[in-house]
Amino acid sequence: MKPHFFKKYFAGPLIAVLISACLTTALLICLGENPSILWEAFTSTFFNGFGLGYTLYYTTPLIFTGLSVALCFHAGLFNIGAEGQLHLGAAGIIALSLFFPGLPWYFSIPLGVIASMLTGGLWGLIAGFLKAKRGSHEVIVTILLNFIGITFVNYLILYPFKNTQVQNPETLEIGQSYFLSPLSDFTAYLGSELFRTTPVNVTLFLSLFAALICYLFLFHTARGYEIRALGQNPSAARFNGISASTNTLLVFTLAGALSGLVGINEVMGFQHKLIEGFSPQYGFTGIAVALMARNHPLGVILAALLFGSIHNGAREIEFLSEKITKEISIVMEAILIIIIAGQGYFSSLVYRLFKRDCHD
Amino acid sequence: MIEILSSTLRLATPLIFAAMGGFLCERSGIATICLEGVLLTSAWAGATVTYYTNPYLGVLAAIIVGAMTMALHALLTVKAKADQIISGVAVNLFAAGITPILTKLLFGSSTNTESIPLHARLYSPVLTLLAFLLPFLIHFVTYRTGWGLRLLACGDGPEALKTSGVSPAKVRYWALSIAGAIIGFGGVYLSTAHASQFTRDMTAGRGFIALTALIFGKWRPLPAFIACLFFGFTDALQIQLQSSPLLGNTFPVQALQIFPYLITLLVLVGFIGSAKPPLAIGKVE
Repeated sequence: MKPHFFKKYFAGPLIAVLISACLTTALLICLGENPSILWEAFTSTFFNGFGLGYTLYYTTPLIFTGLSVALCFHAGLFNIGAEGQLHLGAAGIIALSLFFPGLPWYFSIPLGVIASMLTGGLWGLIAGFLKAKRGSHEVIVTILLNFIGITFVNYLILYPFKNTQVQNPETLEIGQSYFLSPLSDFTAYLGSELFRTTPVNVTLFLSLFAALICYLFLFHTARGYEIRALGQNPSAARFNGISASTNTLLVFTLAGALSGLVGINEVMGFQHKLIEGFSPQYGFTGIAVALMARNHPLGVILAALLFGSIHNGAREIEFLSEKITKEISIVMEAILIIIIAGQGYFSSLVYRLFKRDCHD
Repeated sequence: MIEILSSTLRLATPLIFAAMGGFLCERSGIATICLEGVLLTSAWAGATVTYYTNPYLGVLAAIIVGAMTMALHALLTVKAKADQIISGVAVNLFAAGITPILTKLLFGSSTNTESIPLHARLYSPVLTLLAFLLPFLIHFVTYRTGWGLRLLACGDGPEALKTSGVSPAKVRYWALSIAGAIIGFGGVYLSTAHASQFTRDMTAGRGFIALTALIFGKWRPLPAFIACLFFGFTDALQIQLQSSPLLGNTFPVQALQIFPYLITLLVLVGFIGSAKPPLAIGKVE
């Protein structure tokens, strides 16, 4: 490990976490709540089997969306459209299962993965196409595509795929062979109670695998090098024969496919159907995850774990406290993003503070 | 028919305020995807202060809170040189998180504030009238006054502005704060005139529709105003169809909900005319 490795990847995010923990504590005190519940909630998200199970369940989609955003950042592109892409991906699985409900598991599970990647990837490809071929700004395009995609999926949930037996806006259940095992099945087999009654499932391993693949792709293949070159210095890359449009199309398709995989965790892993509004903004949290990870695919795993535990911890806080609601997680997320995004300025402030002290 | 038209006016009002605020921000060269968040915080402040005092103080509170929320965006983008999109995402998240927490703290429920009785609410046509005059005012100020021309210069070539001795940072602080105040009117309209209380996530994407209208209007105030009316109309139509006994539940209203975004996408990618954003937008100095 190189000596500057810690400073480059860990120092900034760790300081950001510390500052945001202090700010959240201050916020809790201002709101008249005992800040010790913050500690209590977050220890319970890691140090008991039930809490850890839910934390890992929330971590899984955040790894996918974090990778999706990080991959685009490497190419100098901003993918704010993960939210729409993951909706499409989830709908893809439902569509597959409704057409082929009785496939044996060795077909249904790989096909489910492919379906979610295809539909999510297609939605990403549209953004990539409009960026590469029509020169439209990808941020605006993906915001628009988010609304179009989410509304379209809501239409599918409410009309063609609707389960008419129930009042709730949800789709029909997918075939049995599409179900993925929860991790509690494995721990129960080993005689342990870890993860009992939690929805964390084998998609977690798929997400870890995806992170590894992304790392190898970005840092150990020629194509990955092209993408990073394009992100670091577009004109230099172009003079060396690296095609901006091909790589933009590729990156956005891959990003869409990664976001689409969120559907696996939600549909095949836990709910076994699609419910309107199933995503608590995984796509936007993915932006925070990528920022926190400094866009490193393996860092995304750690950052997703952090945000997964924040999400889970906030539910715990709502349970423990009479005053604070679970939206505290969104506030903490916002504080973290603000600190990381403005890190250059904030650290120069701190630096000046210390420098003045030295002179006095 | 008259029902739909009056409903259009009501639904377009918050869009116009937000789009005009967005116009000032984007033309000063700051990408602003946080119109949604500013609408949300000002709607909360408007409803809360109106409930405890009176509608006039409610409007004032909404303006101040709107300006403060936008000032946070200005501080992050101009002073801390944060990425403008990321800062926008952060402001949106912050607004979506802090409003239910404060609602819970003050009213004991995280979903909505106490309802304001009709006689204590703002007379809404006043705000609608204001919204319909605003685009012309903004048009005049932007294209006919020195401040407006400096704003445009700031959005297209801040270096040139700097050379002529005007600080782009200062222009942007002012533009964003004023924009926040304008969006504040939209927020207070939503929570005290259009509805009788603040409910969680009550803006429901209106900030993004306003941004869409601004792009559809190719970053110009009067076309953006027309776009707001148009999107208000599709929204009114959608609500009307949803409650219409003729069609019942069979008509997919999603087709109309998608419409503003779809048509703006077509404009943006150049299939219908072309839309070019201000040149300096998104660039960190």
